[in-house]
Amino acid sequence: MLHIERLQAALAELGQMAAQQAQQRTDDVTTALAWLEAAPPSASLREVLTPLAQQGLWPGALPATDAPLTARATAPDVPPTGTVLAAVDGSQIFPDRHAAVLYYLIQVGGLVFRYNGQTPEQHTRENLYFREDDLIDARGNVIAQERVGMRRLIHEMRFLAELTEAEKTTQQPLLALTDGPLLWPYPERGSEDALALRDYLAALTRIREAGALPIGYVDRPGGRYLLDLLWAGQLKPGEIADRLPDNPLQRLSDRWLMAHTLAPGERSAWFTRGNASQQRHTQARHEVWFCYGNLGQPGFPVIARVEVPAWVAQRDGAADTLHATLRHQAQVLNGYPYALARAHEIALVTTQDKLALEGALQQQLMAAGIVPRPSEKARQKSYLGKR
Amino acid sequence: MTPAEKTISIGNVLRADIRGFVVASRIPEPDVPTFGTFVRAPIQQGQADLIGLVYNISLQDDPFLKNLAVALDEDNPHYEEIIRDQRDNRAIPVEISVVAVGCREGDRTRYGLPPQPPMVLNRITVCSSAEVCEITRRPDFLRALLDNRDVPADELIPTALRRAAGLRPSEQRDAFYVDAGRYLARNLGRDPVRLERVLRRLELETDE
Repeated sequence: MLHIERLQAALAELGQMAAQQAQQRTDDVTTALAWLEAAPPSASLREVLTPLAQQGLWPGALPATDAPLTARATAPDVPPTGTVLAAVDGSQIFPDRHAAVLYYLIQVGGLVFRYNGQTPEQHTRENLYFREDDLIDARGNVIAQERVGMRRLIHEMRFLAELTEAEKTTQQPLLALTDGPLLWPYPERGSEDALALRDYLAALTRIREAGALPIGYVDRPGGRYLLDLLWAGQLKPGEIADRLPDNPLQRLSDRWLMAHTLAPGERSAWFTRGNASQQRHTQARHEVWFCYGNLGQPGFPVIARVEVPAWVAQRDGAADTLHATLRHQAQVLNGYPYALARAHEIALVTTQDKLALEGALQQQLMAAGIVPRPSEKARQKSYLGKR
Repeated sequence: MTPAEKTISIGNVLRADIRGFVVASRIPEPDVPTFGTFVRAPIQQGQADLIGLVYNISLQDDPFLKNLAVALDEDNPHYEEIIRDQRDNRAIPVEISVVAVGCREGDRTRYGLPPQPPMVLNRITVCSSAEVCEITRRPDFLRALLDNRDVPADELIPTALRRAAGLRPSEQRDAFYVDAGRYLARNLGRDPVRLERVLRRLELETDE
């Protein structure tokens, strides 16, 4: 039982702190806006920062084109008739060493949304992992949730490849939308990580070969790649690497700045990043660029980071088509793409699904003469959890 | 079951007691059972089937749909695909309440409350025509309804009788109704107002 009354002082402090942070954020945004207006030309920033990025000394954004950092673009609020949008999301049941049966499950769901008046199609794919190789790591422990997350990302991208390959014959714009960054988010720490990234990039290649445009959609992005770039613009080239941690706007994120610069329906200039994952992406001809978009309404900005391969951003009309599609998709759900919300719903493994699956798993074990039994801790928690 | 009939599963048991149970369902609108539908649920490790009648169907709150309802305009062609998706693909969550009227154990039918309720997550299926005819072969299936004050029995009884009669050859229907009417008269003899209300509704149902 939680004694909320004992937390009154902490709750009051939290409220006061939030008010102070809001004031600080307003001041920081004013500073960031001034830096943005005074930023050096994109080409010169790129010239200075690219070598640092190649040495792993620059984690921030790099201007992807020569457009000024203040550049903004707009697009229609409806994509061309015939555009096809395939959206995918995933969900999982993590392995639980206290459960009666050790397994994990990844389910991916997708919605194929055609702008032709037809009913969208929904698809799912389930993957059950129960073999020792899948569940136990080299040290004999149950695999970490991060490993499940990697597999989920690969499944999502493969599923997106399947859905777009099924649409391959169409001459219409074909968009492949996934929830989260397109740039592989995990550090490469060993051969298993490298293989995972290879599989992910292979799926991205299949999507490209199907003629589709991959898009990673990051809702409420938390990074400050652009703010770091603006800070670099305030420094002399020789001091950038050393003074990067001194950025006084550490507590701000890019979306706060973008909420003040992008009007509803607008997107920013294109940027890129130079980290280790990006190098692997680039080797596979999938260097990832990103921009920010405001998919909200006047007075209610909703900032998203949109990640695409460079070849998408550079293709004639592709940026406008994906921008228009995202605008239309976001109109009915307060700034979040409808197809992604539905893909999430389709993919979701509910508590009821989990109970049904575990019942079926236990039946199989009992049929094989094995009586499955959760740990005593899990059993006790299940009683308390019903309160 | 006639060759044309198919087994329709309507969902899984969500909660249950000896007098009935509630089913959680996500089935498309055409397959949602109607008020008075006979359904069965396995009990006693599948050794028997509880037979019950649907007496309430409630559409659950769906925040997704609620959110869309504010923004969508049915006449706006820009939203045509979204409206189709909601209507054709998304089955809104439904809770179906069932009252027990008896159970079947092999070829034997027992009327009244079952020996135990169905277990949570057991699959519920719509009864075939043959099963409905069998459970309603005697009017004793009405007993559990007459004794249950928590269900709209006075509405449910006429609906169930009409449904059961409709599955019988026309020459047997009058006898079926007379038999049921006599049973009701015997059991509601001390409550003539209620008896008249039930019979009047039965008369209206059969007139339709």
